[in-house]
Amino acid sequence: MKSAPFGYQAPTTIAEAVGLLAELGDGAKVLAGGQSLIPMLALRMAVLDELVDIGRIIELRGIQRRDGHLRIGAGTTEAVVGADPDVAAAVPLLTRATPLIGHFQIRNRGTLGGSIAHADPAAEYPAIALALDAGLEVVSTRGRRTIAAADFFDGFWSTTMEPDELLVAVDFPVWTGRRGFAVEEFARRHGDFAIAGACVGVALDDNDRVTRCAIGLIGLGAKPERPTAAEASVVGVGVTDVVADDLGRLAVADLSSIPSDLQGSARYRERVGAAMVSRAFTAAATEARRD
Amino acid sequence: MTTTSPTAARYAGSRVHRVEDARLLTGRGTYVDDIELPRMVHACFVRSPMARATIVSIDASAAAALPGVVAVFTAADLNGGVKEQWHTSSGEEGPETPRPPLAEGEVRFVGDPVVLVVAGSRYIAEDAAELVEIDYEPLTPVVDYTQAAEATELVHTSHGSNIIGDLGAFPLSTFDDVFDSAAHVVSETIYQQGYAPVPMEGRGLIVDHSATTGDLTIYSATQSPHEVRMFCARLLGLPEHRIRVVMRDTGGSFGQKVMVQRDEMCLMLAGPKLGVPVKWVEDRQENLLSAGMSRREHGVARMAFDDDGVIQAATIDFVQDCGAYPTPWPVMTAAAVGVFFPGPYRVSKATFQARTVYTNTVGRTAYRGPWQFESLAREVLLDIAARRIGIDPAELRRRNLLRKEDIPYASPYGMTYEQISPMETFEQALSMLDYDAFRVEQAQARAAGRYLGVGISNYVEPSTPGYGYYGTEAATIRVEPSGKVNVHVVGGSCGNSIETTVIQLTADALGLNIDDVATVQGDTAVTSFGAGTAGSRSGSMTAGAVGQTATILREKLAAIAAHLLEAAVGDIELTDSRATVRGTPTVGITMAEMAKVAYFEPQKLPPGMTAGLEASSRYTATDTSIFVNATHVCTCEVDPVTGRVDLLRYIVSEDCGPMINPNVVEGQIAGGVVQGIGGALYEELAYDEDGNPVTTTFADYLLPTSTEVPIIEYGHIETPSPGPGGYKGVGEGGAIGAPPAVVNAVADALSPFGVTITRLPLSPARLVGLLDPSTRAADGSDQ
Repeated sequence: MKSAPFGYQAPTTIAEAVGLLAELGDGAKVLAGGQSLIPMLALRMAVLDELVDIGRIIELRGIQRRDGHLRIGAGTTEAVVGADPDVAAAVPLLTRATPLIGHFQIRNRGTLGGSIAHADPAAEYPAIALALDAGLEVVSTRGRRTIAAADFFDGFWSTTMEPDELLVAVDFPVWTGRRGFAVEEFARRHGDFAIAGACVGVALDDNDRVTRCAIGLIGLGAKPERPTAAEASVVGVGVTDVVADDLGRLAVADLSSIPSDLQGSARYRERVGAAMVSRAFTAAATEARRD
Repeated sequence: MTTTSPTAARYAGSRVHRVEDARLLTGRGTYVDDIELPRMVHACFVRSPMARATIVSIDASAAAALPGVVAVFTAADLNGGVKEQWHTSSGEEGPETPRPPLAEGEVRFVGDPVVLVVAGSRYIAEDAAELVEIDYEPLTPVVDYTQAAEATELVHTSHGSNIIGDLGAFPLSTFDDVFDSAAHVVSETIYQQGYAPVPMEGRGLIVDHSATTGDLTIYSATQSPHEVRMFCARLLGLPEHRIRVVMRDTGGSFGQKVMVQRDEMCLMLAGPKLGVPVKWVEDRQENLLSAGMSRREHGVARMAFDDDGVIQAATIDFVQDCGAYPTPWPVMTAAAVGVFFPGPYRVSKATFQARTVYTNTVGRTAYRGPWQFESLAREVLLDIAARRIGIDPAELRRRNLLRKEDIPYASPYGMTYEQISPMETFEQALSMLDYDAFRVEQAQARAAGRYLGVGISNYVEPSTPGYGYYGTEAATIRVEPSGKVNVHVVGGSCGNSIETTVIQLTADALGLNIDDVATVQGDTAVTSFGAGTAGSRSGSMTAGAVGQTATILREKLAAIAAHLLEAAVGDIELTDSRATVRGTPTVGITMAEMAKVAYFEPQKLPPGMTAGLEASSRYTATDTSIFVNATHVCTCEVDPVTGRVDLLRYIVSEDCGPMINPNVVEGQIAGGVVQGIGGALYEELAYDEDGNPVTTTFADYLLPTSTEVPIIEYGHIETPSPGPGGYKGVGEGGAIGAPPAVVNAVADALSPFGVTITRLPLSPARLVGLLDPSTRAADGSDQ
């Protein structure tokens, strides 16, 4: 379990980093917190010519409240995200999901951007980004663009970023009004990738009718999934009239690539996923009604 | 002859802090990988990616040409060097299974070592390993051990069959009349998955051969440095006294490192060819691929009961998967499952049939309570029986457990259980739980749609094997010239606190302050032969060795003190690192003063006494086994939607005799319980149908962690054994009792659903599959 030889660069600015990515081409890979990449290198599941370590780029870190958005630098560690009061106030799903990411040692090194760019379908942050319509800001020597989360994830460990692009920040829209959030997931052990999970946001009007419902599914496909039909089915419905178990079943009904392995069949994961949606919706709705 | 008795135990029985802790808990232990020698090179194996294939050709030229590569060895280079390859406990004449160092002609499991690459660093060795080109011709593997006996493909063609051995007591039909006329007969086929010891430190060794003297020094992660030395001497045909084996800290073993396996043989054979020291440290993937599997087995367990639930007869017919290269010869260890199947119950009619088979998977190795399937099968069957008969599972056990008045009890296989207390540990554990209160809580929870359960298991196990290789143990106690004391025993500690234990025992035996005692262990150059850690033997055997040796030294000390203090030998007391005269504690002499006389002023010693203050003696065990019993009780909550199991309480009441150190006893129990919980709920060394292992990292091989394991509660019954100090072994029991307690708790929680659990591990998906078969995989398995 020793990696094959690789070159190593540690730029200190975004400009320097994207310059290296442009120059080094396909054999280069961005190293963020290294919590997935380093084990893959050690197991020789990944063999790379060059690593571009972005851990020393200060401008990639930090959390800023902007009008209507919370902007988090891609290099901000999961531990910082999980402990930040602005995050807790503006995007509570991130705060609640963070303790479910691995163990604290992992969260001390793992970064928000690393998790989203790695695009593991069983990870929490990609599903939250998708459910909340986050904007993913990427930079290359060719310029800067923002990719909508709905367009960002395109397969297992795969995104629509170009190889020379660096994810620099994530903009999470901030919900206002009566709203509630919850994340529920089921993992074999604390800290494991989830067998299935769901993050749910619910907004209510003053009559307890659902005005908005966002659902991100974790571990139920090749990429994070968003069951838009299920979301739409509860909008306009009185929140106490929603049958959460029905919503859960609907949320997983159209999934076509649920994984199946030693930890459980696709049918099993579907059942657990439905339960997680149901439980997360119930918790989010309860919170929203208190708001 | 006057004998000076040891003073009342000052340390034995107390929670003395472990002397190992300061270094181990601060990361200052010395494991094989921490040892750096000048000019040392590093080895790595090229392992088979196929479960079974013919090796057509090996081209290592590119690997050998890589800068930094020192040597590349194939079977043709190493295997011819084997002189003998038997383990001492099995004996020279014992039956054996094949054990080629590197695969020769055919690979027989994924992970089978084929080529050994040696380079200036492990990084380069792994780079070179990727350059070795091996052409394989795939063969149909034997993967499913339940079909191995009938399979036309053979794992070892030369053996002529995939059956390693069949062994039984009486024919299974012997008690047919009892079963035919019984009020209740309960029979189930119970499956246990393969899982493994998974020590924190993998296997590993450094072989340092001196070209000038021919001497060999081996640093080894082992349970038994003397066995490594004896095995290596036979393997290479070297005189035993030219080999020194040193173990420093060994990071867990649990049976996996009890005997030399093929990978270590390769290093021993390669070392003398290299001219420089060579290190191999197994990484986690290698450990999960190649270090050995345990537990994979199933059996038909059957019991006959009368109207009152009293057991009339018990039989078990079982098969164990031994993989391609088991260590040691597995047939006898399999028999132990049969022999202990009746357990600590009144069962007068019992028999068993045991079969061991080869498959194209990693070899079976010893693991903490290698026979534990007897307890799993029996205790799970008892709970199934209780539900079928309609009697509470605790009550069913109470009606059958050995009571005080039944003991001594002759088991159906001729073992006599004395000094055990099954009913006492059982009642203590139930009372710690408050069993009746739990049943009330359970009923209330069920009414609220929550599923709680309680599981019980009882067992009796043999500890401290008292025969052959294991039957003796030596100690040397040396009072140094300053009066400080070193006790030399071989030890073989893999985390089991033998240093603390021996220091406590020595301090008590010689009336020393504990800080005045240190211990030297693990080095064949400075310890006498001993079998090391195995069979829950260290407590009793080192107590015997230390006790016997200390007696010699105590008499010498008393004689010296009596002479110097002008008192009667019989009036001398040893306490606080001093000798005093009984009734006159102010009159005394320190150990330092006596040592000074013994070493530097021998003319002041009693006439005729030899100088120095040192004794050695070898203790011989008096019993074939020392029996130990315990009761485990576990409670849990199961979520029937996800299959999630939360363990709520875990209680162990055990009788390991008087405790030398309750911290050590409880630590041993805890470690075993956690491994048993892992086996019941999480761990599985799994293969796909082509024989590819699918759990080769900790992402897939799930060990329980501190967040999955509840606080373990301990109850102690201390019935002295006939051995030294009345001590018994406590190393293995936790791993024996835990799986059935957990399985029974889950089954009890799910009893309203009418499901019967007979297959481990109880993964959430498997439990949901029992509740809702539509969630099972397409092949109908309950995965």
